[in-house]
Amino acid sequence: MQTGQLAQPVPQIANRLRDNTDLQELVSEGKAHISRRVYVDPEIFELEQERLFRKTWMFLAHESELPGKGDYVTRNLAGEPVVVVRGDDGVVRAFLNSCRHRGMRLCRADNGHMSTIRCPYHGWTYSKTGKLLSVFAPDLYDAAHLRKEALGLISVARLESYKGLVFGSWNEQVPKLEDYLGNMRFYLDLFVGRTDGGTEVVGIPQVWEVSTNWKFPTDNFTGDNFHLYSTHGSAVQLGLLPPDPMSLSFGHLIRAEGGHVLHVVPGPPDPAFEYFGLPRELIPHLQRNLSPAQLALARRYAFSVGTVFPNLSFMQVLIQGDRESPPSPFLSFRFWEPIGPTKTRVWSYLFIDKEASPEYRQASYETYVRTFGPSGIYEQDDLENWEECTRVNMGKVAQRYGLHHGMGAHLDPDKSFPGPGDAWAGSYGERTQLAFYGEWQRWLTQPQPWVRQ
Amino acid sequence: MNAMVSDSMSSITIGSPEYAQVLDWLYREARLLDRGDFAAWLALMTPDIDYQMPTRSSVLPNDGSGFHPEFGLFSENYSSLSTRVKRLQTDQAWAEQPRSRTRHFIANVLVDRDACGAYHSTSSVLVTRLRSNRPMDLFSTERRDVLRTHDGALKLASRKILLDHTVLDAHNISIFF
Repeated sequence: MQTGQLAQPVPQIANRLRDNTDLQELVSEGKAHISRRVYVDPEIFELEQERLFRKTWMFLAHESELPGKGDYVTRNLAGEPVVVVRGDDGVVRAFLNSCRHRGMRLCRADNGHMSTIRCPYHGWTYSKTGKLLSVFAPDLYDAAHLRKEALGLISVARLESYKGLVFGSWNEQVPKLEDYLGNMRFYLDLFVGRTDGGTEVVGIPQVWEVSTNWKFPTDNFTGDNFHLYSTHGSAVQLGLLPPDPMSLSFGHLIRAEGGHVLHVVPGPPDPAFEYFGLPRELIPHLQRNLSPAQLALARRYAFSVGTVFPNLSFMQVLIQGDRESPPSPFLSFRFWEPIGPTKTRVWSYLFIDKEASPEYRQASYETYVRTFGPSGIYEQDDLENWEECTRVNMGKVAQRYGLHHGMGAHLDPDKSFPGPGDAWAGSYGERTQLAFYGEWQRWLTQPQPWVRQ
Repeated sequence: MNAMVSDSMSSITIGSPEYAQVLDWLYREARLLDRGDFAAWLALMTPDIDYQMPTRSSVLPNDGSGFHPEFGLFSENYSSLSTRVKRLQTDQAWAEQPRSRTRHFIANVLVDRDACGAYHSTSSVLVTRLRSNRPMDLFSTERRDVLRTHDGALKLASRKILLDHTVLDAHNISIFF
């Protein structure tokens, strides 16, 4: 180590597990090797909580879930309950959902509307900005021992939003959200920044718990396109996917900065598959809101799946919801909330461009709910995979053998790709997975991974 | 969710022949599902079947029941139910291969008849699902069904599945309700 040469000493952190395994051995991007332990080991999950989830930006909500002053939702940030509320000044804030008196959970509904936050236990009452307004029987306190200004709600350390996506962090030092997203913003804009009004949530998120590690669904949503023809073989047999197993291989895998990744995949050579198949009346919005480079890319593609590191994923796809309906585009965002080493709570949102017509909104919804989410004819099988992978990887014998992530790992980037980041030609490959695990390893092994060299 | 019973509804007495007919239909339907005879189950649907399972959140009493009026976990018509059944008949519907073992327990059945002669039933339905050697999944629901005579037989025209769950404790919903 050459830390002595740095102007400011960097804190050291232990990089070995209790059985002396070096954390650096868990992931090898070069050898395309991933240890099975990363998906099941409680000790690794504890390290993730400490070094990743409590240090990085995590998705909390979409601004459209809080349309009015006093609207709130309750969520979790790195395993701790928070309430996200829009104040009378229109500003969205987030607080630990816990009274300063006994720690009682304050807001106990999933969503609602508040004028103040009153604790059910002894009645301590807070404002929407987190100030302690009143306590029960204040005259019975020695005023010097009840300094209300020091007993406000505990704020989430950082709260910022990007085009409707609200993120929080418990780490004061985490970079500005825009810097954290880096050049991934170029791609995110294709989905959440393409129309004048941006996107909004349709309905409420579907929420369900899966006995899997959060990294399995995330790994899939880094842009794993080559699982389609085995996992979703039933859709091929039903005629919902084209029969040629290489038909979705003609896109690019993209590695943006900071472990953020995605794929972009063209549809058949038909104008209906341009601009992700969005209704034509929305195309002028894209022309107004996207740069020429973004617009040219959007035009080329019908499908895109990706992940904002560490666990916010998205899918923009154009498929049939059933055998008789025409293909319709939909945009789903996923938050893979880590509950335990082998338990993940899935938050699946359907987003829609605010200017969408009622007909398109309905078609997009029906297509989404019939194909994805817990009952979707595609996702049912994904969920089965992620649970079974997790269960089998618990085995100590299984853990002696690493997992292979090598598809396309030998290929060089396609320098002619017009978007930022590194892009590889061909949308079947494991470059994006390797980028995700590489970034994961940085966060687990470096004391200040948010500082980029 | 609005109450379905209006002034034009007449309530069907428990134990009456009409009540028995509806109950018989519900039990036979459940038996088809639990035996995995999905093609025969599909034949019990009217061509305009509307099959919904709304999402639900936990809300304060003043905010209602928490069911979302327009967003769900199922929003199905005949074509989509038939696609789901056909999918189960492929040999790559992995979520149901091996098959889940389900049991639909139906209780608290109340029946009303509307002015057109259609039966509106509400029931408590507990669905258990076991598959492979996973722990058992439980789905606790209220079902609101509309049964209508179509082509000379009683068919399901509408079903609302109202979950007690807000966070589903099951990895997927690869079964029918």
